[in-house]
Amino acid sequence: MFDLLIIGGGPAGYVAAERAGHKGLNVVLFEKNKMGGVCLNEGCIPTKTLLYSAKTYENALHGDKYGVYGDNIRFDFSKIAARKDKVVRKLVAGVESKMKLHHVTVVKGEAMIQGRSPKGVEVTCNGETYLGANLLICTGSEAFVPPIPGIAEAGDIILTNREILALKEQPASMVIIGGGVIGMEFASFYNSLGTQVTVVEMLPEILGGLDFEISAMLRDIYTKKGITYHLNAKVVKVEGNKVIFEKDGASESVEGEKILVSVGRRAVTKGFGLENLSVELNRGGIKVDEKMRTNVPGVFAAGDVTGFSLLAHTASREGEVVVNNLTGRPDVMRYDAIPGVVYTNPEVAGVGLTEEAAKAKGIAFKVAKLPMAYAGRFVAENEGGSGLCKVLIGEKYGEVLGVHMLGNPCSEMIYGACMAIEQEMTLAEMQEVVFPHPTVSEIFKETIFAF
Amino acid sequence: MAVVVILPKQGQSVESCIITEIKKKKGDTVKKGDILFSYETDKASFEEESPADGVVLECFYSDGDEVPVLLNMMVIGQPGEDYVALVGDAMPVTVEEAPAAPVAEVVAAPVAAAPVAPAAKGSASFVSPRAKNLAATEAIDAAQLAGSGPNGRVIEKDVQAALENRPKLTPLAKKMAAEQGVQPTSGSGLAGMAKSTDLQAPVNAVYGVDYEDKKLSNMRKLIAKAMHSSLQNSAQLTHHLGADARRMMELRKKIKAAMDAGTLTTNITLNDMVCFAVIKALKKFPNVNSHFLGESLRLFNKVHLGLAVDTDRGLMVPAVRNADDLSILGLANQLKEVAGACRKGAIAPELLSAEAATFTVSNLGAYGVEMFTPVINLPQSAILGVNTIVPRPKDLGDGVYAFVPYIGLSLTYDHRSLDGGEATRFLKQIAVEIETLELDIF
Repeated sequence: MFDLLIIGGGPAGYVAAERAGHKGLNVVLFEKNKMGGVCLNEGCIPTKTLLYSAKTYENALHGDKYGVYGDNIRFDFSKIAARKDKVVRKLVAGVESKMKLHHVTVVKGEAMIQGRSPKGVEVTCNGETYLGANLLICTGSEAFVPPIPGIAEAGDIILTNREILALKEQPASMVIIGGGVIGMEFASFYNSLGTQVTVVEMLPEILGGLDFEISAMLRDIYTKKGITYHLNAKVVKVEGNKVIFEKDGASESVEGEKILVSVGRRAVTKGFGLENLSVELNRGGIKVDEKMRTNVPGVFAAGDVTGFSLLAHTASREGEVVVNNLTGRPDVMRYDAIPGVVYTNPEVAGVGLTEEAAKAKGIAFKVAKLPMAYAGRFVAENEGGSGLCKVLIGEKYGEVLGVHMLGNPCSEMIYGACMAIEQEMTLAEMQEVVFPHPTVSEIFKETIFAF
Repeated sequence: MAVVVILPKQGQSVESCIITEIKKKKGDTVKKGDILFSYETDKASFEEESPADGVVLECFYSDGDEVPVLLNMMVIGQPGEDYVALVGDAMPVTVEEAPAAPVAEVVAAPVAAAPVAPAAKGSASFVSPRAKNLAATEAIDAAQLAGSGPNGRVIEKDVQAALENRPKLTPLAKKMAAEQGVQPTSGSGLAGMAKSTDLQAPVNAVYGVDYEDKKLSNMRKLIAKAMHSSLQNSAQLTHHLGADARRMMELRKKIKAAMDAGTLTTNITLNDMVCFAVIKALKKFPNVNSHFLGESLRLFNKVHLGLAVDTDRGLMVPAVRNADDLSILGLANQLKEVAGACRKGAIAPELLSAEAATFTVSNLGAYGVEMFTPVINLPQSAILGVNTIVPRPKDLGDGVYAFVPYIGLSLTYDHRSLDGGEATRFLKQIAVEIETLELDIF
């Protein structure tokens, strides 16, 4: 009898296992592939590794702006890919050692839920049966490939996040269907390396859900860098290398050596016996409450499998909420201070309400925005670069509702805004916080004083 | 010249009223006759009009405060007028703490002593300055705390204790708590910190809000308190018995006919007839027409009949005094009058107190209720619930059985006052009175 069975070793599962093990729970974690899940193996980490190579290359190419010249600047695609693999291996090993450190039993294999009895939840794996008082489902999500005519016939021209990371050679041209976060990060990477990139987006703007103005600014920057965008464009057909889409009633097409499909992700709820528990689903994901409980007592879900807020950091926190409640610390999941980052160059980072979301929800707010150039360090390090910091506060009490930034390295400083929103800090408190000088983060303080 | 508005005493038994709404705030300009504030006694509500034109210079209490009658409520006068002498120094005059007032204008000649209300008693809760400061920064209502200082004074320690029992508040939650006067009971933020959302009804991310927290009206609070205390503080139980209603229904027909013919102008309802029968029965059972006072039973010579009335604002029980002196017409008219006054909110408050009646009738027959257990209006000894009329088989003699209409009677009595035998005999007597009812109106 185990205290907690966890299916899936991604950021929800392994973090929950680590926390639970640390608190002395008897934990079994089932993982059919490598530890770390999509995030570590096919998502966050490999892409950030690639993007850093691309950024270093770009910096070298444009060193002249800073008075630094390099000759014969070049890159080796296979070495970039090899370094990505090395980084992933190192981090996967790190997760595995954490599991050992916290006495988590890791079972490599396909777990199958058999059912629930008064004794607990029964899961089998590799012919063995495991009985757990609690079950945490963290089976994650997979890339959603829409049933576009011709997409199956196109074979290995079609890529998802998984295949694109396994490419051995740089394609000369690429069409990206879906200009969301994943699409834009790969667009950024291949654009930096010189691939001809075209993004086809169904909505009026890329990076749906993020601040509209910042998304448009980023699109402008990348248009200048050479990416072609087709907005309001609905893909109707794929013919080999050709993507045919409708835009403003007219049919257009674009060709690419490879076609990346990044239109969304879908929760994995099949193939591990979930149906044996009669767990209720909601829009394709497992339905959970604010404590990540499903409708079945003792069965929890965390991470992408819930079908919303598909982010590694959301997943980890959800896993922690489960463990906290199991170990006697009341905790609830809050989604109003979950940061979102796009690792393009420049980066985009935001947390909390956007202007669009606040208007849609009818929340009275005030907004202030400043160009990144108000931060001295940004000017020093971003020759010719532009960026923006936008802060939303509640109209009546001045609490920080949302912070949205464009410009390096906003990914590293957005957490400050997360803390402000989590603690419902208002202008009065924010104005008394000391920011280090000179840093780009001072733009947050400057914008606060712009109200 | 400034005028002090006091909280009027509405009825002999009224010692304090709850301020329902301050309609004119400090600084508002008012005209004579404008409504200054509304207030409630046990069961009736009133509005106080401004006695003069001017400006509200001071308002001593706020919405929801329970204020002893005859205390100063407001000062109406001209801006800058010195009214401190008017109100006496026992009142919580806030102007003393607000030196920002235009000092130059306060040199107006001291006003002669106008009718001054009695000073507040020392019972008002005091809050030490240190406690007040801490309470203000931490958004705690110090006045609500039980003081542990001398004479129940709230001291800093009491505020600190309250803070320990409350989750840490975010800056936003603190601002909102201070403004709205609400306190969170739990925290859903970082490490249990209370967020602004914890001051409101919790929202389930998946299912949404499925309820609404509605603040109780003062009247609801009073009813709740009275009903709960009745069940807690007495030994009540209910007997049910039916009375043959054929006689009453026959009378109803006659009344309707008489009204159609124009010989009768007052509609006499079944309830009026039941009440009439009850009064007759009460005269034969003086022990029921009583108040249980703990050490003694107060037996009344007269019957003061309480009638439960359902109003928009909640249950009201007005009394018809000396009901045993009334003819059926007089009783019917008086019952209609008090019920109507209750529905309009114009009932005299002294008629609403439980002490005003010696016995109460609660009639749910019109709603089809067949049996219920009414709750005694303490200190009264009993209450009669009147139910709907249902057909019941009856032996009419000679082996003849028929369905006859029966009216259900549910008598709840306080076993401290009465024993089961007497209560049953009284209940049976009501049935007999109903079955043999004579009305001298035809």
